[in-house]
Formats: sequence, C-alpha cells, structure tokens
Amino acid sequence: MDIAITSRQMNPFDTMLDKLCLTPAGLFGLILLFALPYIPPFNQEYMLRWLIYCAFIGAMSVGFDFTAGFISIVNFGYAAVAGFGGYTSALLVINFGLSPWIGMAAGGITAGIMGLVIGMISLRLRGIFAACLSWFFGLAVMGLTTKMVWLTRGPMGLRTPRLFEADSNVPFYFLIIVLLFLIYLTCKWVVRSKMGLAFQAIGQNMDAARTSGVNPTYYRVFNFTMSCTIAGILGGFYAHFYGILTPDVMHTSKTVEVLAVAYIGGRGSLWGGAVVAFPFIFIMEIIRSSFSNLPGLNLVIYALVLILVMIYYPGGFAYFYDTIIRKPKNKVLRYLLNGRD
Amino acid sequence: MSHHYVSKFLTWLRSAAGFSIVATIVIAVVTSIVSGPYLLVNTIITGGMLALVATGLTLMLGVLNIAMFAHGEFFMIGSLTAFYVFTPISNYISENPDSFIAVIGPLIAMICAAIVGAISGIIAEKLVFGPLRKRSTDNWVMNSFLLTVGLSVLLINLHQLIFGADFKGIVGYWSGMPVSIADVFISRDRAMAFVIAAVIVGIFWFFMTYTRMGMAIRAVSQDITGAQIVGIDIEKIVLLTISLACALSAVAGGSLLFMYPSYPTVGLEPLYLAWFVVILSGLGNILGAVAGAFMVALLKVITVEYIGAGWDFVVPSALIILVLIFKPSGIFGSDVRGALDK
Repeated sequence: MDIAITSRQMNPFDTMLDKLCLTPAGLFGLILLFALPYIPPFNQEYMLRWLIYCAFIGAMSVGFDFTAGFISIVNFGYAAVAGFGGYTSALLVINFGLSPWIGMAAGGITAGIMGLVIGMISLRLRGIFAACLSWFFGLAVMGLTTKMVWLTRGPMGLRTPRLFEADSNVPFYFLIIVLLFLIYLTCKWVVRSKMGLAFQAIGQNMDAARTSGVNPTYYRVFNFTMSCTIAGILGGFYAHFYGILTPDVMHTSKTVEVLAVAYIGGRGSLWGGAVVAFPFIFIMEIIRSSFSNLPGLNLVIYALVLILVMIYYPGGFAYFYDTIIRKPKNKVLRYLLNGRD
Repeated sequence: MSHHYVSKFLTWLRSAAGFSIVATIVIAVVTSIVSGPYLLVNTIITGGMLALVATGLTLMLGVLNIAMFAHGEFFMIGSLTAFYVFTPISNYISENPDSFIAVIGPLIAMICAAIVGAISGIIAEKLVFGPLRKRSTDNWVMNSFLLTVGLSVLLINLHQLIFGADFKGIVGYWSGMPVSIADVFISRDRAMAFVIAAVIVGIFWFFMTYTRMGMAIRAVSQDITGAQIVGIDIEKIVLLTISLACALSAVAGGSLLFMYPSYPTVGLEPLYLAWFVVILSGLGNILGAVAGAFMVALLKVITVEYIGAGWDFVVPSALIILVLIFKPSGIFGSDVRGALDK
C-alpha cells in the first residue's frame, strides 16, 4: 500500500501520476494499450475482439478483487451480477428505446442495488458461507433469467443494439480501456483512503476490527455495492458490444474465469488482474483458435496455471513484481518502476 | 415412562430438525395423495443418490475442511468409468442374454467406478491438496476451496479433451419388466439405484459409527490435535477420507449412468444439489446430510411437478438462501463452526 506523500519537492508530473495511481511504467503501459490498435499484428478486427475480451475480464477482475482481496469475501455470483446488469440494460434499450449509454448506467445502478441486497443478507456470514450465499444467489438469478422466456427470450438469447454504429471494433476497444482505467482508479482511490484501511481490517479479522471501532456493516455493504455496480456497468458493455446476450454470461464458469485472472494477478493488488489479463487471456485465445481440433486445451492450461499459482505462488504476479522486479539497483529504472517516493 | 418419551418427542418436534423432518414427510405424503405416488417414488430415488454425493461432500468438509467444488467431477469420473466398463459387458450380454453376467455386470461397472473414483481422489490429494497443506497454514478453507475450483475446471476440460464432449450413455443396466409398487411402475434400474444407495449409506453409517477407522475419522473431524495425541495417523485418515468421499460420489455417478449420460459438465447438477443439502443440513453432519438429501430431493421433485422443469434451481436456491440468512448453521448443525468460518 503506497500512501500519497505530499512533499514539496514533487514536480507536477509526479503529482499527476500519483493522483492517477500510476507508476511511469504503468503510464507507459496505458499509452501502449491506447496505441495497440494501430500496431500491425493487433490491428486486425479479430485480434481487437480478443483484446476487448482481455480488457473486459481484466476490468471484471479489478472489481472482483475489490471484494475478494480487501474484505476477503469471494463473490461467487459475480458473473451473475454482471449478467443482471447486462440484461437490465439490454431490456431497457430494447423495450423503451433508451440509448445504450443510459442503459449501461441503469445496469450499473440495478446491479449496485443487487450488490446492496447481497451485502445485507450476507452480513452474518463469513468466508465460505458468504461465498456460498452469493453463489446460490447467482444460480437463482441465472435460473430466473433462463426461465423468464417472455422477458429475456431465455437460452435463445437477446439481440441487443450495439453502443457504436460503426462496424469497426476500435471505438469499443478505446471505451473498454477507458472503463478499465476508470474502474482501477476509482477502486484505488477508495482503497487509498481511510476506507481501504477499514476494509483490510475487516478482511483480516472482523472481531478485532469491530473491537477497534470499525463498523463492519457499513463497510461490507459499501464494498459489495460498489463492486457490483462495476460488474453491472461492465455487463452493460458486454451486452452492447457482442450484440447478443444469453444466460450463459451468468454462468459460474465466467466467475471462475474472472477469479482465476484476479488470483493469478495477485490478490489485493487491484492492478495485478488488469495487467495479467492481457497476456494471459490473449494467449488462451491463441491456443483456443490454433488448436481448434483439441477443444478444452486452453481451459486445461488455464486450470493448471490457477492450481500451480494457488499452491506454489499464492501472491501471484503482483507479489512477484513487488519482490523481484521492483527493486533494481539502477536509479532510472527504479524511478520508472516505482515513481517518485 | 411413556409420558417421558412423549415430552421428549414433543421437544424434538419443536426443534428445527424435528419440525423440518415432519414437515417433509407430511408434504411428501400430501403431494403424493394429491398428484399420485410417483412423486414419492421420484423423491426417494433422487434422494438416495443425492445422499451419496452429499455425504461425500460432508465428509470432505467435516474431516478435511475442504469446501469441495470439484465433487461433481468425481461423479463424472464415476459415470465415465462405468460407461467404459459396461459397454463391453453389455455387448457380451446381448450375445449371451442368459449368462449370470447380465445380473452382476452392472455391479461390476459400479464397483469399478467406485475404485477409480477412490484412486483419483488419492491422486488429487497427493498432487493438489497435499502440497497446499504443506505450504499454507492460514486461510486454508478459502484457499483449498479455490483450488478445488481449479481442479473442477481441469477435470471437466480433460474429459472434453480426451473423451470428447458428446453424451456417453447406455440404454439401461438391467433389462426386464419394470417393478410395480402401489400402481407405480419403476424401471428395474431406478429401483436398483435406490437399493444400492440405501445399502451403501447403511454400510457407510455402520463404518463411521462402529469401526475403529470410522471412529478415527470422526475423531479427526472433531479435533485434529487431540486425535494426533491419542496416536491416530492423520496422513492415513486424510487419504482414507478423501478416497471414501470421492468413491461415494463416483459410485453415485456410476449407478445413475442410465439417467445421466457421461459428458464433461454432468457433475454440475449433482454438485449444486449436494451443496444445497450440505448448507441445509449443516456442515459436517453425516446423518443430517442423508435427511437433507431427501428434503432437497422432495423440493426439487415438487418444484418440477407444480412450477415446471427448469425452475428446480430457482426455488431450492431461494430457500437455501433463506436458510443461510436465518440459520447459517443449518437445520441439524450445531452452532460451532470453527475453522470453516474464516
């Protein structure tokens, strides 16, 4: 946890970086992501589709990590919450002719309300029980979506209008990168504030936190609401990007996908999942498309990586980065990787 | 004296356990009178198989503190094994229909399923849980749960990679006329599936209650340190528990092959239902899991009957959420949750 140091000798550039919660290397990465659609192998439409999916999963994993990494509750119905937001948005747009942008916002709000409900009813539960509750909640929502055919057309899927008229995927790509960054920034700001400390206190030892005057009710519900709002907005993006929405988006396997990226990236780091999602999901997509005669191979590798990371390197990529890459002798490199501190 | 028993019975009736058991029986009887006895039969058969999966899950939770997400995949392994063992047997039977193989062939397939399930459980322990146990001390429940999530994805996709995603099913185990009980015709396979489940649950209960090994397992589930002090080999108990739990799930998969053909994600439905059972009856309570299995089965059967197929996830999960909110320790559970709470 890097706490903002408002010392006098910081120049405006460093102050800005600090406000944006980026290191110079992070800024470089962000610029690279914005330039990626114009760099040759990635400027093809199908590659862009993959990259959008990478960024989507990365953004989901940031929102997921906001709950799992800080208050230590694994929201196992996260994909269902995102799907709920997506369906709300899609139905509003289709039935009332709203703009998809308003739909996305509405999806975020309704998913946030759902998060509020899950947060409230899971208050008495901890650890595995809370995970189970959110899981069953997700299953129930997915079952409802599948069965309410008159509204959602069930497994046949809902055709949704896309956010941009253009056929090209480039505007979607820029939008999801902006979303990813904004989500990261919001979460990081909250975590940097006094609230983040309270989250960690609750996550590590709830009774001790309560004894020292931290009110778990407020913080847990707030955390759930915020992370589910993020999921809802992303669900809206998903609905209006792919143009088709089926209940499969709520399936537990989607949550597992997000969970794997968040844990491989490093629990409690927020940025880890976002960074790891790009190479990881991208390589998985390459394996999936180049070994199409071996269906499931990418997921086997996926699961193996998750298992190996969980057993042998539970800190994930963020821990690896913090302990090994982050401390070079060279002063310039050190500045690039850490920013001014 | 009789007055004493009556008052004891009334106290039991007022507890959550007594109330829910009586309510289940009453609902089961009333609905079968209203809509026909096949409801009761379906409940008993589904419940019997669910009991096998759920007791395995409970065992893992109670003894090893592993919240198993991959338990359905052992169901899948069992059904896959039974399919590959039974296919040549059924070819042989169709050539010589009168040989004794026609009677014991299905049993061979189920026993093979149980053995393969136990072996794969041991492999999982040696390769996955063992290394984690050596490394992690804090937050074991959550970490092992996430590990089983990875294991589940791995097994599902290994099945798809090696055996393909198509349905691998059989027509039936035992041919012949269906059995008729109270105007309901039950196919021999279903009747046998229930008999097998009942026998296995019975043996399992006897094993856990009266044998030294079973007592050792229960001792470990109550207090690991205490068990170690009195000289129980924890390593051995862990291996035994995990192989038993996986074998129970696999034998359920094997004996239900005629209903659920084997395909990569066949285990998800039993897994969800078994989790409902475990939450409903309280973690780590084996006899409670058997009773809970019939309750969940009844719930599922009634939902399908009166609301429609496909709602059988919505209604049970809504009810389980209510149980989690108002009685997180489950109907039969004690309020002590210990390590699982972290």
